[in-house]
Amino acid sequence: MFRKVLVANRGEIAVRVIRGLREMGIASVAVYSDADRNSLAVRMADEAVRLGPAPSAESYLRMDRILDAARLTGAEAIHPGYGFLSENDAFAAACQEAGIKFIGPSAESIRSVGSKTAARQIAKAAGAPIVPGIEEPVSSIEEARSAARAIGYPVLLKAVAGGGGKGMRRVDREADLEAALRDASSEAERSFRNAAVYIEKLVIEPRHIEIQVLGDEHGHIIHLGERECSLQRRHQKVIEESPSPVMLRYPELRQAMGEAALKVARAAGYYNAGTCEFLVDADRNFYFLEMNTRLQVEHPVTELVTGLDLVEWQLRIAAGEPLTLQQSDIAWRGSAIECRIYAEDPAMDFLPSPGRIEWVREPSGPGIRLDSAVYPGMTVPMEYDPLLAKLAVWASTRERAIDRMHRAIFEYRVAGIKTNLEFFDRVLADAEFRTGSFHTAYIPEFFARAGRTVPATEEERAVASAIAAYHGKPAAKPRVGDARPQWRSTHHAEVLR
Amino acid sequence: MKRLPPNWEVSEIEPGLYSILDGTRSIEVRVGRNHAGFVVDLDGRIVSVELDDPREWRQGGRHHGRQGRAEISAPMPGKVVRVLVASGDAVIEGQGLVVVEAMKMQNEMKAPKDGKVVAVAAKEGASVAAGQVLVTLE
Repeated sequence: MFRKVLVANRGEIAVRVIRGLREMGIASVAVYSDADRNSLAVRMADEAVRLGPAPSAESYLRMDRILDAARLTGAEAIHPGYGFLSENDAFAAACQEAGIKFIGPSAESIRSVGSKTAARQIAKAAGAPIVPGIEEPVSSIEEARSAARAIGYPVLLKAVAGGGGKGMRRVDREADLEAALRDASSEAERSFRNAAVYIEKLVIEPRHIEIQVLGDEHGHIIHLGERECSLQRRHQKVIEESPSPVMLRYPELRQAMGEAALKVARAAGYYNAGTCEFLVDADRNFYFLEMNTRLQVEHPVTELVTGLDLVEWQLRIAAGEPLTLQQSDIAWRGSAIECRIYAEDPAMDFLPSPGRIEWVREPSGPGIRLDSAVYPGMTVPMEYDPLLAKLAVWASTRERAIDRMHRAIFEYRVAGIKTNLEFFDRVLADAEFRTGSFHTAYIPEFFARAGRTVPATEEERAVASAIAAYHGKPAAKPRVGDARPQWRSTHHAEVLR
Repeated sequence: MKRLPPNWEVSEIEPGLYSILDGTRSIEVRVGRNHAGFVVDLDGRIVSVELDDPREWRQGGRHHGRQGRAEISAPMPGKVVRVLVASGDAVIEGQGLVVVEAMKMQNEMKAPKDGKVVAVAAKEGASVAAGQVLVTLE
């Protein structure tokens, strides 16, 4: 096993990996940008190396500096987390060249399934179902028109190198195709420095369900079941759960999708942890979408229901150990849900809300797992993704897990910046969410039906203004019930005079 | 000046954090400040409270009137990635003025009404604070 590992990431995932390393007795090296000097990852790691200024292009995307940091500290392996360089085949290759182990699949696997079009070709050849569409990026509007006509509207334009909904456009009719193609390509160019876009049939009211796979470097690979990821805003997930409500009703679907995921992974010679994403329609037809060649943000829900530690297995596999688990060893117990706590304002279309966190109270108690990177007094930088923390819960059934999450959200408070905590409080109480019969457009539909915000009631306003007035004018504070010792009150009164 | 309801018993747990007993009903409240007054977290519900004293107000950004000046300000801290208009330009309602980026999300500030650009304070590449005026229309 490695003695020292560098974590080439930031935020909660860097904290997650550093925790795993400490549990395994492996020394950890954090890397950071100037905006993250005071981050939890830097504070928790055994060593930390500065990469550069805040912008990702000058810090977390600088392969040369990350490799220098590994050489400087003598790290034998690099865990890339998710995002940044995690799905960059050139980085995986550069690590190998430098004699530093990249904790993930081979550069060849990333190349072969990392691009959406290549992954579709592999899936098709391997016999996994794919969404009808073209395998090659479109090179002209004429080509796009004839492809869209052949597939049939509505269609979806997608960036070849894409992720997170960037470079993606829905097109309902031919008249909108040209503008959408231009928008999608320029967004793809900006986001991924690759303007290539391809066309797919739009699956109506789909669920987004993904399968976790885990394989060793000796050809053995298994799947760890599904995660339901249909609740999304701007094509980014906000709530994930396992099992999926669909699998609770149709357990055979897990095996069918698991086998399809393994076909794709085997065809790509895949090893380490990876995820195959699928769309599932109302008739439970499923279509392979793409493979994420890294640890997934929402991996905790799989860890909670399977009892496995994915980061530990990633490290063992990267160190050359065999995966000693067989498919028949994997059992799924109870139900797990994760809420992604973002610095954003749901009332303003989830507008980001970076800034200083004044106060935090974290949930705890039975069945709670919190993967957080924030603390009171910390400034949430504006340069990166707004994910503050992942709150995950486990309980024996889906209903109990939802109740538990609702309770945990009630306990969880963040002041100083806006968060989506109140939004979760509403969704977790929503009857439609609780029935489990939702699809990827749930959030806009929820807003349309229940409103973006719930205005404060008369009583809430009265309580809030009474306490604000009390708080804002300390000299006038009544003594009734004031638990502070007498001398402190006197001191305050004197200072204010 | 507002008084606390007579049946309240208030205990300050830490600065800004209060445990209130309203009879037997237990409420936990945290009070913080923002640019317009107070932000009160009421058992998880966030309620904004504006100050009674107008002198303590700091004008927070947007004016959506059909007539007169309109100041378009940054809705979030971020970086100006594009300025789409120049001083003297005529603009129509809904036209993009400035693009601000934060946390990998670009947000286009649009003209709230038809008018003329009288001032452009935004500079491409500059960092801006929430509430900072970017463009003034007339």
